[in-house]
Amino acid sequence: METAQLKERLKAQIIEFLNLSSTTPADIADDQPLFGEGLGLDSIDSLELIVLLNREYGIVIKDPKEGRKVLVDVNTMVDYITQHRTK
Amino acid sequence: MLYIHRTSCISPQPRLVGGEEASVLAGGEGRGTAAGPVNGVYRVVEPGYPGIPPNTLRRMSKAVRLGVGAAMPLIRQERIDGILIGTGNGGMEESVKFLRQIVDYAEGMLAPGNFVQGIPNAIASQIGLSGHLRGYNSTYIHRGLGFEHALIDASMLISEHPGTRYLVGGVDEVSGYHYRIELADGWYKTTVTPGLSLYDYDSPGSIAGEGAALFLVSGESADAVAAIKGIETFHGTDQHVVVTRLRAFLARHLPAGSQPGQQLSGSPALYLSGENGDNRALPFYSACAAVLDPAVPVVRYKHLCGEYPTASAFAVWLALQFVPPQPLPQHILFYNNHKLTQHSFILLERFR
Amino acid sequence: MGVISAIGDSLAANRKALVRKESGIGYSGPANSRYVGVIPFGSVTFSNAELMEHTGIYDAGVSRTTLLAAHAFRQAIQDAGLLLSEATSGGAASGCTTLLTATDTALIGATTVGGMCLTDELYRDTNGGAQGSGYLASYDGASVQQYLQNRYGLSGLVTTINTACSSSANAIQYGGRLIRNGLVRRAIVGGVDSLAKYTINGFNALQILAPAACKPFDEHRQGLNLGEGAGFLVLEREEDLAGKKVYAELRGSCNVNDAYHASSLSPNGEGPFLAMQGALRSAGLDASAIGYINAHGTGTENNDASESQAMIRIFGTPPAFASTKSSTGHTLGASGAIEAIYSILDLFYQEAYPSVNFSTPMPETGLRPLTEFQPMKLEHVLSNSFGFGGNCTSLVFSVAPAGLAKVI
Repeated sequence: METAQLKERLKAQIIEFLNLSSTTPADIADDQPLFGEGLGLDSIDSLELIVLLNREYGIVIKDPKEGRKVLVDVNTMVDYITQHRTK
Repeated sequence: MLYIHRTSCISPQPRLVGGEEASVLAGGEGRGTAAGPVNGVYRVVEPGYPGIPPNTLRRMSKAVRLGVGAAMPLIRQERIDGILIGTGNGGMEESVKFLRQIVDYAEGMLAPGNFVQGIPNAIASQIGLSGHLRGYNSTYIHRGLGFEHALIDASMLISEHPGTRYLVGGVDEVSGYHYRIELADGWYKTTVTPGLSLYDYDSPGSIAGEGAALFLVSGESADAVAAIKGIETFHGTDQHVVVTRLRAFLARHLPAGSQPGQQLSGSPALYLSGENGDNRALPFYSACAAVLDPAVPVVRYKHLCGEYPTASAFAVWLALQFVPPQPLPQHILFYNNHKLTQHSFILLERFR
Repeated sequence: MGVISAIGDSLAANRKALVRKESGIGYSGPANSRYVGVIPFGSVTFSNAELMEHTGIYDAGVSRTTLLAAHAFRQAIQDAGLLLSEATSGGAASGCTTLLTATDTALIGATTVGGMCLTDELYRDTNGGAQGSGYLASYDGASVQQYLQNRYGLSGLVTTINTACSSSANAIQYGGRLIRNGLVRRAIVGGVDSLAKYTINGFNALQILAPAACKPFDEHRQGLNLGEGAGFLVLEREEDLAGKKVYAELRGSCNVNDAYHASSLSPNGEGPFLAMQGALRSAGLDASAIGYINAHGTGTENNDASESQAMIRIFGTPPAFASTKSSTGHTLGASGAIEAIYSILDLFYQEAYPSVNFSTPMPETGLRPLTEFQPMKLEHVLSNSFGFGGNCTSLVFSVAPAGLAKVI
């Protein structure tokens, strides 16, 4: 799958999984921080995103600290998915 | 003495706002103005929740949305020293969603959001988070007596800490899953026509409902609309015990001669009955009505909100908003029976 | 008082284990979860069949949670002599009423799991069939207290509190305040929780379950071990104590909300700080009066850091403290009551129970819990319970008023 396509797909998945019903994929910039000031996600969301990566891409992240390095923005997530996906 | 200053409610009756009120309650008229059950359930028509940021709203269970939504008008610009919430099935829908994950993914990697939002104290805690309120915070889950215990606790807090103010309420949600359990256990009828005809059925079971009714209370009478003069809760299946307790409750809180124009000592001006169409509960309600002066009007309310554990909170809100307040001071008795074994009396004195 | 936990099914058994620094954390647990045998739990060693035998409860539809509660409840009411009739105990003569069934005796219980330990049955019941299992009325938290009320014929005020991990601490303070405000004469207070597939998976999803035995306050802590158990205490007014066995006094309490996040505490421990400070204030005591703290100490990165900051803010140098969760696991809705009981045993026997599994302090605080049992002269003990939703409650217990404590 093309990176651009994967980014769009991932944004839609994040929106659905985290129930961000007032957000569209166009609202999420590729380099917009997911946490803090950017999309405003919190620690529960980070756990949920780890589950999303597992369910959609077969990725297992066991250590939340490792998760924090991956879950910076859509770009870092897509890079990680591309390298580690098993689905 | 627990004084009520302000109230807020989200119920299955969105049109119950100033104006249409008295007709809905006056002994049988106004059926057309009341919203009926949809698919056998009285559901809240949720407002837009303008005061709750979308980022926070997205994750909330329905009970938390209802509780926070009803709380917002009361906590703006108010000093609140504590939050006390009664709930019987709040969070149940989220809990069962988490349960489904456990089964669907065979206890594998699970998303924790449902679990966290499914805990009953999420309502009171989310209200606290929304208002940055660090005071007392408690949740009572004893089915039909949760709201009453929130009131009892608030009355103690007011006595222990003069000058403080609390948010007290009852919040419950109808969840598909919980509905199935209650239905299987015989608590709901499967078909009911809307409105007052709920009370005409001679069959077991009521009709499910939901709602959030919250009150700002304090120990100060200035600006209060009413006061809770007495609360009693008990368990049992003996009608005679209920009657004996009611007589003692009224004698304690409404001694003879304390009411202008009362014909019988210890009679309130109005009796709000939690009758719910379940013919097994009717004898209790009738027995209580028989204790009172025959001239005391009986007002029923569960044809407006449905049956749910903290429906008595809706009743108190309804009485304050929509019962014509004459003559003042007006004493209103509430009796609620939950699942035949839990009983509560509330005596409200209305000033305005 | 009455108690059942991973370290024993009586006050004496629990105390013996605490004195010997024994832990009940092991690898048994509810048979229907894949995590049993994989991660440790503080499970009660008795099966449901054995609990039924101990309690004499064979009714259909009774969950493990209710059985555990009944076990501790029976012990407490027997220990407190509540089965005596009102007449013989000097109260108003009312024939066959006992102190237990008197209308001025309250039951304030607490649980977070309730009947959700019947996880598989709940799943089936929520999905269908008009029939339903025999547990339809047993899933909610109130079902435990409803069962006790019905079985023991309680005619006073009965209620159930759920404020997550601080639930039974709140049951204790609510019962105490009902007495102090003259609304009831005596109160049986406490809480219960049983190990459930539901909760195991909830905590696992939050990634706060430790892969090995928990290490409260240790730099290398990796989370908590879930436990189960029940604890009940009988609270009475001072004027009713003559001739009775008195363990301690509930001297102060405070309930606040951290208002920071749904499932974690603020880094500076604001909620824990306010709870402990408020409890001291309500007890009319200075921080220096506290000789020992039974900490909440779950072993999670968040709680132990937050609680440590709060202890330092209040005490400067905290007194001796420990987390008995290193012996029992985190018993959730029961933890407030079980740990209150341990705090009271500390006072009654003038001793302090240690934390198990501690070796390295957190570098940011340098705090070390007590790691060995020791006799200790104590006047006042603080017990902390902090839960999800930011619900923080602290209780202060004090040595019983002079002349009232009886050796047992």
